[in-house]
Amino acid sequence: MKTLKTLAVFAACMSFGAGASAAAAELQLPKDLPPYGADKPVPVPKIDKHTLSNGMTVWIVADAEGAPKANFVLAVRGGSAHDPRAANGLSSILAGTIDEGTKSRSAIQIAQEQQSLGASLGAGAGEEGTTVSASGLGSNAGKILQLLGDIARNPTFPDAEVNLAKMNALQALKAAQAQPGYQAEVEFAKAVFGDHPYGTGEQTEASIMSVTPQSLRELHAKRFRPDRALLVVTGRVDAAEILRVAKETFGDWKAEGTPEAEIPAAPTAVPRKLVFVPRANSVQSSIRLGRPAFAAQDPQLYKADVAESILGGGFGGRLFQNLREDKGYTYGAYASFGADRNGGSFGAEADVRNEVTGAAITEFNRELQRMIDEPVGAAELERSKRYLAGVYLYRNQLRGAVASSLAGLWIDGRPPEDLGQYTERVKAVTAADVQGVARRYFSPQEQSLVVVGDPAVAEQLKAFGEFKTVAPN
Amino acid sequence: MTAIFKFAAGAALALCAVTAQAAGDIWKLPVKTHTLENGLTVVVSEDHTSPTVGVSVVYKIGMRREPQGRTGFAHLFEHMMFQGTPTAPKGVFDQVVQGGGGVLNGSTRADYTNYIESAPVSALEPILWLEADRMKTLDFSPQNLKNQQDVVKEEIRVNVKNQPYGLFFWTDIARLAFSKWENAHDGYGSFEDLESANLGDVAAFHRDYYGPNNAVIGIVGDIKADQAFALVEKYFGALPARPVPKGTDPSEPLNTAEKRESQTDALAQVPAVALAWKAPAQRSPDQAAMAVLSHLLMGDSASRLYQGLVKGRQVAVAVQGGYNWPLGNAWDFSGPALLTVLILHRPDASAEAVVTAIDEELQKILKEGVDAETLARVKTRLRANYVSGMEPFLSRADALAKAQALWGDAGMLNQIPGWIGAVTSADLQRVVGTYLTKQNRVVIDRVPAAMAAAKQPAAAAKKE
Repeated sequence: MKTLKTLAVFAACMSFGAGASAAAAELQLPKDLPPYGADKPVPVPKIDKHTLSNGMTVWIVADAEGAPKANFVLAVRGGSAHDPRAANGLSSILAGTIDEGTKSRSAIQIAQEQQSLGASLGAGAGEEGTTVSASGLGSNAGKILQLLGDIARNPTFPDAEVNLAKMNALQALKAAQAQPGYQAEVEFAKAVFGDHPYGTGEQTEASIMSVTPQSLRELHAKRFRPDRALLVVTGRVDAAEILRVAKETFGDWKAEGTPEAEIPAAPTAVPRKLVFVPRANSVQSSIRLGRPAFAAQDPQLYKADVAESILGGGFGGRLFQNLREDKGYTYGAYASFGADRNGGSFGAEADVRNEVTGAAITEFNRELQRMIDEPVGAAELERSKRYLAGVYLYRNQLRGAVASSLAGLWIDGRPPEDLGQYTERVKAVTAADVQGVARRYFSPQEQSLVVVGDPAVAEQLKAFGEFKTVAPN
Repeated sequence: MTAIFKFAAGAALALCAVTAQAAGDIWKLPVKTHTLENGLTVVVSEDHTSPTVGVSVVYKIGMRREPQGRTGFAHLFEHMMFQGTPTAPKGVFDQVVQGGGGVLNGSTRADYTNYIESAPVSALEPILWLEADRMKTLDFSPQNLKNQQDVVKEEIRVNVKNQPYGLFFWTDIARLAFSKWENAHDGYGSFEDLESANLGDVAAFHRDYYGPNNAVIGIVGDIKADQAFALVEKYFGALPARPVPKGTDPSEPLNTAEKRESQTDALAQVPAVALAWKAPAQRSPDQAAMAVLSHLLMGDSASRLYQGLVKGRQVAVAVQGGYNWPLGNAWDFSGPALLTVLILHRPDASAEAVVTAIDEELQKILKEGVDAETLARVKTRLRANYVSGMEPFLSRADALAKAQALWGDAGMLNQIPGWIGAVTSADLQRVVGTYLTKQNRVVIDRVPAAMAAAKQPAAAAKKE
């Protein structure tokens, strides 16, 4: 969400506490500890679904109570993965400049109108979808939707705004390149996805400079069309009134020309790559390991969610417990699957001090192998499922998160009902399912490894194979 | 798919302000408080829209009052709170909270330290039991201390030493702006001080600052207030109050001469400059005006500095900052605070050009005031931010507990709308004229090392 065009550089700050829970044996719980109470039913969002005559999909989840706030996501198919490689950044610059002027509003008018509506509006490009989102005071819901509609349908991409956005994108790229995490992620994507668009999205000075107001206008005309668009509205809104405004705002929008083609499926297996990115004077090594996995519609996703939470979810995950709470190597170690419309990956990560770079990789491998060799115990499995169900409840307390989740499902090619059925599907996962996921995706010999760190740590990597040293991006 | 779950830290919570306008958007929080005989105060706000609860236990101790020679200790201690107790050994806390469907965290700030959980309401009783258990005593073991000393050092490496800019806009700015050790020292701590911490320090800190009388519990969500009070009484009622050492007075007058510093950054590639001014103290009649001014200057893309520096003059790449930024907001502090601006600027613009541009924007407000339409817009936006900031039960519980701990009145949150609504253009002018002066300002410009090295020969050549 763009408010101040903040850079991720400054997001970090003080303190995530600590956490613990023994990785190996089951702990004896204190005898006086009261038990959990009875579970209350998980609320399932009631989605009011409509299709406008021009093919546009509209989903409304209206609440009678809760925060006096309305949330909107307008999603269209097509994102960064569709950018021509020489123009990487095109989709993200489109998202960054779509609210910098429309046929009837200047950039400053748009910014000021957001303030006066108590709204916050922004756009973003994912691999497979582009979204324009807004949230604001519920009493202004209709007006916020009209503003959103104007921005999505009528952006002008003024020359001056596009040029400024490009200049700032160049600086933002430089700022990102200074971060070890950025270097690690770029190399990780290349290692896992190879030549597939998910692996080749890295922006360069030249690719940013290739973007022009004209190329943005052409992309917008091609990508923003009602038959490939979804509007989700959630929060304290009047569903009938919102539908009326949605029809008024988008009803006369027409699809023109040929839509963007689907990108090919990403690989599900690749030869592992071992990559070292030297970063002089780095006081930590950023370690990423992983491999390609499955696309978002794959039903093994629920099994994978349970497996990832046991291995590397939150403070209770085995990696966190081992690398942080037992060894003190790192501030945090995690693992997760990521899945997009046409493919996905498994990955694990930690930033560790230089001396323990090799030792940390050994522990990653040990925990991966243990997931393969030993079925997870009943108590740990149950905790993991309850944790996932609780996180689901926590996230969906926020009606804005419900809107983004529904838009995400749509972009991924999944039915919206998947959201409400999440908890039940997670509950059905067994220890054998988890071990199946581990056997298929956790084999240490199949993980690509990316390490960004001081040149001196290269010595510690030799034990794991021959690393290819690549220059920083 | 589940991303790695992380809490938005306190810094991200944009709890700002409210104005009373459109009736439907006024969100008066129900607030009930109860104080146990041992001094523990409980604040409850019911909300039955989700079958969950948010819990925040706030202790009235933070970095400002950690012992001298022990920089970073309040934060290291926070980590020790997760290392187990004699009855619930290391691991039990997380296992029970996460196994109950909960998420948890803690954070350390200048004036308080908080411990937070959000979970299905079915996990509330075990959570309260665990919080009471670690309020009573901890497992003061050398292995746990060594482990967390290592972990905190990794935290500092990942957030400071291995990052461009290294949080200079927090730690170095505070060192330059403040004179008293309490306010000026690095709250993350030096490695030397962190390594010197011993178990005696940990036990004394717990005894002195972690008793029930120095704490507040906020509970928000799917529970009746009376039930919540009864549960807290049940699990915390038997804990005795403990004497809390009297602290020193951290207050400081405004500065009378500008201070500047130049730094080079081995990791950064884009130059940055940070400015800070000593800001109104808690409860000052200028506090609400400073909150509004902060938003007017840098709150969003219509703000004066964004429009003036990124868009208009095109000297800046990004603007951020605020009142009590980056570790809090306009209302959640009790000791001295700053108004800070951090700017990443274009390499072809000098830090001086950035500072001059900011001065021009401030002078404009000082001379012309702020027109009624702009002021109304900013207040509306602050009202919306208030609603967003309070939407998660956990954020609401934390805000209520902090308000009770720092203001002695959780209900102050419901007053903020009125305070913000009353701010006038003249108030903004007065605040600019009083606080945002050159004398009261500190400035640090931070140049990428490579850029500084490249400039060196040119400067030398010029001299000749």
